[in-house]
Amino acid sequence: MSTIELGGVSRWFGNVVAVNDVTMIVGPGVTGLLGPNGAGKSTLLSMMSGFLPPSSGSVTLDGTPIWRNPDMYRMIGLVPEAEAMYDSMTGEEFVLANARLHKLANPAAAAIAALEQVDMMDSRDRRIGEFSKGMKQRIKMATALVHSPKVLLLDEPFNGMDPRQRMHLLALLQRLGSEGNTVLFSSHILEEVEDIAGTIEVVVAGRQAASGDFRSIRRLMTERPHQYTIASSDNRTLAAAIIGDGSADAVSLTATGLDVQASDFGRFVHALPRLAHGANISLFDVTPADESLESVFSYLVSR
Amino acid sequence: MTTTPGDAVNDSVIHDIGFRHYDGPRLGRGWAFRSLLLETLRGAFGLGRPAKVKIMPWVLVGIFTVPAVVIVAVTIFTKLDSLPISYTAYPVAMSLIVSLFLAGRAPYAVSRDLRDGIMPLYLSRPIKRQDYVYAKFLGLALAVFIFIATPITVLLVGSLLATFPVGHEVWTWLGGMLMAAVLACLITSISLVLASFTKRRGLGVAAVLATLVLASGFANVLVSVVDMKSSRTNGSFFAVLDPYLLVDTLSGAWLGVDRYNGPSQPIGAVETLFFTAALVVLVGGMLAILLRRFRKVGGV
Amino acid sequence: MTAVSNLTVDLPAGVVGLVGANGAGKSTLIKILLGLMPPTSGTASILGFDCLTDGLAIREVVGYMPESECLPLDVAATEFLVHMARMSGLPANIARERAADTLRHVGLYEERYRPIGGYSTGMKQRVKLAQALVHDPQLVFLDEPTNGLDPAGRDEMLGLIARISADFGISVVVTSHLLGELERISDHIVVIEGGVLQRSTSTADATRLSGALLVEVTDQADAVMARLRERGAKVAASAASGTFAVEMSDEAVPSWVVTVVADLGVGLVRLQRRRHHLAEIFQTEADAAPQEVQS
Repeated sequence: MSTIELGGVSRWFGNVVAVNDVTMIVGPGVTGLLGPNGAGKSTLLSMMSGFLPPSSGSVTLDGTPIWRNPDMYRMIGLVPEAEAMYDSMTGEEFVLANARLHKLANPAAAAIAALEQVDMMDSRDRRIGEFSKGMKQRIKMATALVHSPKVLLLDEPFNGMDPRQRMHLLALLQRLGSEGNTVLFSSHILEEVEDIAGTIEVVVAGRQAASGDFRSIRRLMTERPHQYTIASSDNRTLAAAIIGDGSADAVSLTATGLDVQASDFGRFVHALPRLAHGANISLFDVTPADESLESVFSYLVSR
Repeated sequence: MTTTPGDAVNDSVIHDIGFRHYDGPRLGRGWAFRSLLLETLRGAFGLGRPAKVKIMPWVLVGIFTVPAVVIVAVTIFTKLDSLPISYTAYPVAMSLIVSLFLAGRAPYAVSRDLRDGIMPLYLSRPIKRQDYVYAKFLGLALAVFIFIATPITVLLVGSLLATFPVGHEVWTWLGGMLMAAVLACLITSISLVLASFTKRRGLGVAAVLATLVLASGFANVLVSVVDMKSSRTNGSFFAVLDPYLLVDTLSGAWLGVDRYNGPSQPIGAVETLFFTAALVVLVGGMLAILLRRFRKVGGV
Repeated sequence: MTAVSNLTVDLPAGVVGLVGANGAGKSTLIKILLGLMPPTSGTASILGFDCLTDGLAIREVVGYMPESECLPLDVAATEFLVHMARMSGLPANIARERAADTLRHVGLYEERYRPIGGYSTGMKQRVKLAQALVHDPQLVFLDEPTNGLDPAGRDEMLGLIARISADFGISVVVTSHLLGELERISDHIVVIEGGVLQRSTSTADATRLSGALLVEVTDQADAVMARLRERGAKVAASAASGTFAVEMSDEAVPSWVVTVVADLGVGLVRLQRRRHHLAEIFQTEADAAPQEVQS
């Protein structure tokens, strides 16, 4: 009861095409939505949460269109980027109001539960106007969680949060994902996305650039040679051996070791230990330099 | 062919265009204050900004000054023997235009800064909080003074062209300049206070305009009505409610000129003291409010 | 409002990262150091100036890049920067020249003649940075400089910050919530919690090598692990397939790994010494990641 499907979705505002023919399936687990500023991530989230209709294509939750369908809203929780809230209400009042709006059986209990989940129990009686950015984020989260939705959409949820709050939120999202909920969040902080998102969706200028597990995506980039950083006891000799062996395209000597470029990943990783062992060279560090999400992302964005 | 030190100098060179350090003079608080004042003054007339921003103030300068030119022309061509309106009365008569100018410029000077949130940038520079307030005040007051002084000076030029007695004209003109400065200080301080309470320029404009115009209308009515109704009480005391009438009364009290709106008998010592005190209290009070307002605003 | 107390810390030259929970007192600390606010107790001095009495002198030689929105939107970057340069005490001509130069250093070219309102987030951050640098300060405070930037923008900003310290020779104090960033650019870390100094440590120390070696092979991971155990190494499998960790009980452990891998004819994808992370400072004893490797 929790798969969002986009079929050939486009959304334009006059001549500005914010989303351009995107087909995407977001299922249970944690998915990261990535893209440069202005790529259309917020627009996608707005459409998925029922705030905007697609200009063409369909946006459905388990097959049912979301737009103008209040039953769907009950299944979805949205944590928007916008900060504006009712400054004069206390945290608890605001979450409670949301609980009531959802017509929950026991709004007070649900509000408390939500506040506990986001660790705002201590500050719940203070007015929202006095909250810091991070506290406001957590209240927004509480309102999105209060009706226990199966789908949780978050637009830059970590903005303004300090390290502890981030860890807490990451753990929360991870837990929700592992419990079978569908969690989709957009973020610029790739280290964190890497940490908890099993799948990523990358959008660039309204187009969907890639989707899936980022390691698999990396392997799909066959036209892009693998980069390796190596530190050894005798870098020059090792460099010569690697070039002589022919398993690498290019080797450069750097201040700290070697940078190797190899199109044939399999051949190189098998050759390396053999060459080092054969030449009696100790390897201290062998690191794939472009396997990180950061590297994959920058490549996708610049295509 | 190799070059040895004795040969002709090699002309090729690569210059270092990296970050340059600065060891020269740092002119400190006074210079910063002056820069902010000048920036406020220039901003009031839209200088150093895109053309769109220049329209309103300069149109108003035109509207305000042209009547003076017309008056001068009429005076000369119909061979009047004195200016039909005095140097001190002109700004009071045209007070609406002055109010319009200030209503536009005060929010531009202050509300804009609040909305943009620029205070942390100023506060992290070698000035003190009160410097910001005084620089804004003086800059804007100077702008308003220039605004008012221009047509008054046109009148002077006209009177000289009409060959009126030079000494007398220049003397009364100086009086007009003084009252223009006093008026500028008074209405600027009031307008800045009003503008400093809102980040929205539109709201600031409306507030300043409403206050100045309503005060004027209100005071004028009271002055006339009370004068009519009572023979013993001097309704002219109500002039203190309108900055323009206040200054008008002061020009009568300090310079002995005829008031624009009020009885033509000379002003007694009590009235003089009252209005002068009112002026000092108002300007001082407004500045105090401004200082207090900006003490709270815009933390780093 | 949180006060700052008992904060005795010698900030070394280079890049200092300031971390702490929201409301922990970072802003208060900056206000005190800029001489805008007296400390409730104790003394504060910066660059040899007393924060209590020399506020104006401090603010002549210090730059500040706020986190909040603070730029006028209807003015071009050039005008704005010249004005700011003058407000920092630079004479008119010097202000103009330095403004133009600084805009180049932060990477703003033709766009500098357009009103700031039309700039992207990245460009606005650069203008904010430029006004902090234009008067050649000895030290700059950068408050969350990468806020709102996308990965490419963050990368550029971090590079710029590194240049400010290394090339321009200006000391930097940068606040950030992103520990990964601080690991990358700062030489020293200061942690503030509840207005009280918690830790002050060099980044090198906080990210020193830990006692574990991370290995990833293409296949036959179990065989490799078994052979290593035969040599007496402590090995533990990791979640990702083909990956395991070996305790560095001996400097020769990496060589053992290479020998075993070469003998088995297996591919070596990764051989990395694990490092400590800044994040560990924020983990409580209860959820601290176990550093021991079980065999």
